[in-house]
Amino acid sequence: MAGILKYLCGIDTPKVLVFGITGRQGKSRSRLMKGFGTEIVAGTTPGKGGQEVDGVPVYNNAAEAVSAHPEINSAVFFVPAGAIAKAAFDAMDAGISFLVLTADGVATQDSIKIKEKAYETGAMCLGPNTVGMLDTEGYLFGLIGGKASWAKKNYLPGKVGVISRSGGLSQLLAAFHCRPDLPGPRSDGSFGSLWGKNYPGLSAVLCVGGDPVPGITLLDAARAFEADPRTEVMAIYAETGTTQENDLARAIESGEIKKPVVVFLGGKFTEAGVAQSHAGAMIRNENETYQAKKKALEKAGAVVVDRPDSVFAATAEFLK
Amino acid sequence: MPALPEYKTRVLLENHGVPLAPASFHDVMPTVLPEPVVFLKAQIPGATSRAGKGLVRRASTPDEISYGLKELLAEKNCLGVLAAEAVNIIKEYYAACLLDFGDEENLPGGVLLFSPEGGTGIEGRTESLLKIHFSLLNPPSALDIGNELPDVPNVFALADFLQKMISTFIGYKLTVLETNPIAVLADGSHVAIDCRAEFEKSGVSKKNAHLFKVPVNAVDDSTPLEKMVETINAADPAGTGFFRASRQKAPEGTIAVATNLCGGGGKMLWEMATGGRKDIFTINESDTSGGLSAFKSYRILRAIMSQPEAQVLILTGSGMAFQNQYHLASAVWKALRESATPLPCLLRFGGTDQEKAMELMNTVAENLPVRVITFRPEIFPNAMVEHLSEIATDKRISQIFTPEQGELAFEVETPPARFIYHPEKNPNGKEPAFIKECPTGFLQWVDGRLIPNPDARCIGCLVCETISLLEGNGELTIELDLPEEVR
Repeated sequence: MAGILKYLCGIDTPKVLVFGITGRQGKSRSRLMKGFGTEIVAGTTPGKGGQEVDGVPVYNNAAEAVSAHPEINSAVFFVPAGAIAKAAFDAMDAGISFLVLTADGVATQDSIKIKEKAYETGAMCLGPNTVGMLDTEGYLFGLIGGKASWAKKNYLPGKVGVISRSGGLSQLLAAFHCRPDLPGPRSDGSFGSLWGKNYPGLSAVLCVGGDPVPGITLLDAARAFEADPRTEVMAIYAETGTTQENDLARAIESGEIKKPVVVFLGGKFTEAGVAQSHAGAMIRNENETYQAKKKALEKAGAVVVDRPDSVFAATAEFLK
Repeated sequence: MPALPEYKTRVLLENHGVPLAPASFHDVMPTVLPEPVVFLKAQIPGATSRAGKGLVRRASTPDEISYGLKELLAEKNCLGVLAAEAVNIIKEYYAACLLDFGDEENLPGGVLLFSPEGGTGIEGRTESLLKIHFSLLNPPSALDIGNELPDVPNVFALADFLQKMISTFIGYKLTVLETNPIAVLADGSHVAIDCRAEFEKSGVSKKNAHLFKVPVNAVDDSTPLEKMVETINAADPAGTGFFRASRQKAPEGTIAVATNLCGGGGKMLWEMATGGRKDIFTINESDTSGGLSAFKSYRILRAIMSQPEAQVLILTGSGMAFQNQYHLASAVWKALRESATPLPCLLRFGGTDQEKAMELMNTVAENLPVRVITFRPEIFPNAMVEHLSEIATDKRISQIFTPEQGELAFEVETPPARFIYHPEKNPNGKEPAFIKECPTGFLQWVDGRLIPNPDARCIGCLVCETISLLEGNGELTIELDLPEEVR
């Protein structure tokens, strides 16, 4: 069965180019990705063409790598924030259509330029400031899971599609749906095992990142899960700032998104105009407040919870 | 967003060819005074409505200039005075460049705001401003802009001015650039009379850093502890190490909680659990995440524990961390052993090696100077807070930690640490247990000596010291420098 990338950007099997593969992060994350089953075809670091990292050939730039390996269709970036725009342009100019930008602290102007370039070239970018994505078909981009053995143990095939604006909560919402006997508050008010041994499992998890101008948005990701036949319900971590939740609510209301959506909405006590750990969570206008988003999502038919442990009972209800 | 004072913003505009009203900048009293008539403008970061506060003055005689300069230079946080020559203004316009974050219908980009009525009272008439959206990737030409502008005299000269503003905005990756007003002079030319810029630190390139440097002491309201954490971050920059103390005192009858929250998700969970509680007061925000070392976690924990008013520490992330939890637990244990004022703790471990982390804390709990309760990631902060009153203390324990003297085996620069070996605790010279537990193979035992492996690196996990204390005889200790105040 095809993974979520087929529905997100038309990629059946990702063949990956790793930017910054010779650096500390690039090396260790590439091992994690390969260990989970991702097919890493090549790496690139300017000036280090001709080297190898764990048997993966390194090129000076994306054009050289794609010329030698025309099957490359996706890329992940372990490069500093200041270098991310140039590297992303390099990848898109080489025809790569799915990019995962892990760097935190990318200048907003660079994020906007990347989004403009992606629109021009038809590429899709996850991030910046994302921990990446994982599909239980057997591939991951970025750093979800930390170690391949941990990722394999915690992320198991199933019916829930997870989307999140937080790295940690991407991992948590995805992993907890794969835990037998997960305890939590039940819909009848009691506390205990939510689903016994029959955990719902995960189709894929996509972290759209915590920045104010994300490439792939909550709605883009929801559209992919809507089309993905494995996914029966979506569990989303959303928060204040940006228009992503408002756009998602409109799509649910219009019937474009028909599958059940459970949202853990953060930011109930977030004050407008105050900078947040996630740069994108800062409230810039009244549509970006917790209250406005909750109202829009609930009106559209999404289930909105304000406790993280309530997400699991809510998704379980839809899977009964 | 950080803001640049006018005299700095002028440099950015000038570098992109934007015409400016003539002015000179003085950070000390000049020996030769500017020629009258001038407007003297105090350059104070963050100051608004300067004219109303007497921070902008018209000076038409040398005495007025001398007196005005002297007075304004003495203003608090004043970086200098801009002496702008008075010009004959025929008409005023307003223009600003901002970022447009876009939405489902519209691509993000920039937006140029323009008013032919000038900038007076601009806040109250934002709806009537002309808005020209533009691409940051393919910015508009002066001709493109001119075609969008209203019918004003010399429209394409004005468009050329605005195009250069956009060029400045994009060239320096600014978040806001405002010229208010743009003056039309008698010869039909345009000059910027006043200007300001806002920027993101992440948008400043090394090449341009000097242009954005403003003396921080003038505006920095950081507490001593915040400055200490900045020092810790500077010495070990990998990963996030954010700390901010509350500027308010804990109200009477509340529990003063020190927090070590790991990541934006952890912070949001804490806020959701306690934002509506009147009985809990968070005395600091912190975010330690993004692949930081246990060395750095330890240092920041020491800073957090040094807050005298804290009654309890809560440590939690979202529940599925990227930082190895055993490494984090090693940092917590070390901080509790070595802090002069250890805090009772609620600790939630979730992520790689969470079981080992819990086991470590449970193993050492009896010998800790304070009570510690550990939680699995399935228990969320909204449930953890119910244990706060159970362990919060009104009487802080104080202890004296004296590092044991030993031999400096070697130092590591990144992350910074000194490895101290205690040969008297290993009289047989056998390979200590911690050698095999080093996750990167950095520590080697060669001919009865502890030496670093040049082909491996230290990741600052603290596992060696933990194993040395638990399974060995304490043969190895790690010394981590701290600012004097939290030692």
